[in-house]
Amino acid sequence: MSDRPQDPDEPPPFLGTWRRVYTAILIYLCLIIGGFYLFTRAYR
Amino acid sequence: MRLLDWIVLVTSLVSIIAYGLYRSRGSNTVDRYLLAGRSMPWYAMALSIMATQASAITFISTTGQSYVDGMRFVQFYFGLPIAMIIICATAVPLFHRAKVYTAYEYLEKRFDGKTRALASLIFLCQRGLSAGLTIYAPALVLSVILGWPEHLTTFLMGATVITYTVLGGIKAVTWSDVQQMCIIFLGLVVSLITVIVLLPKTVTFGDAVFLAGAAGRLNAVTTTFNWNDRFNIWSGLFGGTFLFLSYFGCDQSQVQRYLTGRSISQSRLGLLFNAVAKIPMQFFILFIGAMVFVFYLFIQPPLLFQHAELARIQPHAEFQPLADNYNQGFERRRQATLALVEAHHQGDRAAEQRQTAQYHAAQQEIDQARTQAARLVERSGGEKGFSDTNYIFLSFVTKYLPAGIVGLVIAVIFAATMSASSGEINSLATVTIVDIYRRHVQRGRSDHHYVLASRWATLFWGVYAVVFAGWGKRLGPLIVAVNVVGSLFYGSLLGCFVLAFGFRKVGGTATFVGMLAGEAAIFSAFLFTNISWLWYNVLGCAVVVGTALAITYLGPANAAPAAAAIEGTPQPG
Repeated sequence: MSDRPQDPDEPPPFLGTWRRVYTAILIYLCLIIGGFYLFTRAYR
Repeated sequence: MRLLDWIVLVTSLVSIIAYGLYRSRGSNTVDRYLLAGRSMPWYAMALSIMATQASAITFISTTGQSYVDGMRFVQFYFGLPIAMIIICATAVPLFHRAKVYTAYEYLEKRFDGKTRALASLIFLCQRGLSAGLTIYAPALVLSVILGWPEHLTTFLMGATVITYTVLGGIKAVTWSDVQQMCIIFLGLVVSLITVIVLLPKTVTFGDAVFLAGAAGRLNAVTTTFNWNDRFNIWSGLFGGTFLFLSYFGCDQSQVQRYLTGRSISQSRLGLLFNAVAKIPMQFFILFIGAMVFVFYLFIQPPLLFQHAELARIQPHAEFQPLADNYNQGFERRRQATLALVEAHHQGDRAAEQRQTAQYHAAQQEIDQARTQAARLVERSGGEKGFSDTNYIFLSFVTKYLPAGIVGLVIAVIFAATMSASSGEINSLATVTIVDIYRRHVQRGRSDHHYVLASRWATLFWGVYAVVFAGWGKRLGPLIVAVNVVGSLFYGSLLGCFVLAFGFRKVGGTATFVGMLAGEAAIFSAFLFTNISWLWYNVLGCAVVVGTALAITYLGPANAAPAAAAIEGTPQPG
């Protein structure tokens, strides 16, 4: 029933390791929340 | 709808179906029909995940939400990147290596058959209920806005979705989703540009943003904590994380998207694209709603955006005084707005504050008149808890947008409905065949048999969704409750998967009892407290994990289960 290939755990195409990719996304989240906070304060 | 709108709408819909079916050629094995032979690239999965999550009502409601309440709804998505990272690190590699078709199939490998069956049934109940709503809600809004019969819009959407989902399987669903998301992105950008162009000549884009801020519509972050408030930074970060963990980690309609990836890496990239793109996209949609609000500061909006209900209450004796108050309130607000823009141009802070106060006083009059009109709708036989939020954006689109753009926005609504609905129908069919039919009814049949059964199951769930949507109006206010009902099941499913991934010693029986306890806790919170539904997932998950751990470590059968010994079952490291 299955003709699926193997599932190799490849490294990400950028930043070298998945841990670094996850860290970059968390930093991005902090920046976006910070940006929205400043946006809210600037226009209230 | 003018001729050009019809051309844009029909061309969009036909191209979506044709392209989806073209890309789905060769879906003649179960593996290809249900999982696209695990061949999908990350960008197709990424857009498909986004399209499945963004239903039409999300799109229509979000702009309306921003119009009435500002942009704070964006905080609801703050937990999404965190949830995506956790899922990429845990669920994605485990599901891939376990070679499963459904998330619940994994539960049998890890626990036992009864846990898998319970999780599958919970999913079928929850997703089955929302499948009808996904079609019904936008069909209702479109029928009111366009004046088409409700059954026609329901049938059009349902028939289109069923056609390509039954014929092409998940490949058709995914490639159609890609096109649908492209149309949605295009529609959003064109809508925003058009709203800004339609503003009065004396009002610049900077003025519009300033006015939206002064009107309290750019409140993207609220730091005040309140258990009963759905949208603040805390409920978004904590409640949102648990909600999205449940949705992307335990709901087959999403899990199936990333199981189609050609590798773990591709599936992770598909999810992480959403982690990055989803919040800006929601911000963008909410910003459109805020700009529509600014537009209506200068052009008088109708007292109610639901024209049919407005026409129904107009002969009522109470209506005229209400309408007079509303007209006067609008004129006062318009004057205050113009004076505010003038003060802003001159940099006169004192005048700005004075005019802002006058603006808010006039806004209160308008809000009061709208609230009284809504109550009048209820008293005169209309829907209980009537709200016209979902009609604001489409009412604006059909009245003020030029020919061609209206067709494009209507195509966006159709596209969003079809993408969300096809994902639901496809996943419901998959669970029905893989977790119920193949597991309990007909074991060991040929691949061809299961492909055929999958097509029939897809057709069944598609017809079910259309019929349920057709009954939507008869259900009345209950249909609103159905939306909440969806959130009543996620917490226990999430708890089950947390146990599967993170607690090796917990066995099937402890998890099964934990899930029942979790459901009891969520229903108690729903029935006896006012806690926002975003917290149900946290509560349900905590109760499932706590109960299962208590049974495992304190119960009489304090022994390790056999899960770790199951051949081929990967264990979290």
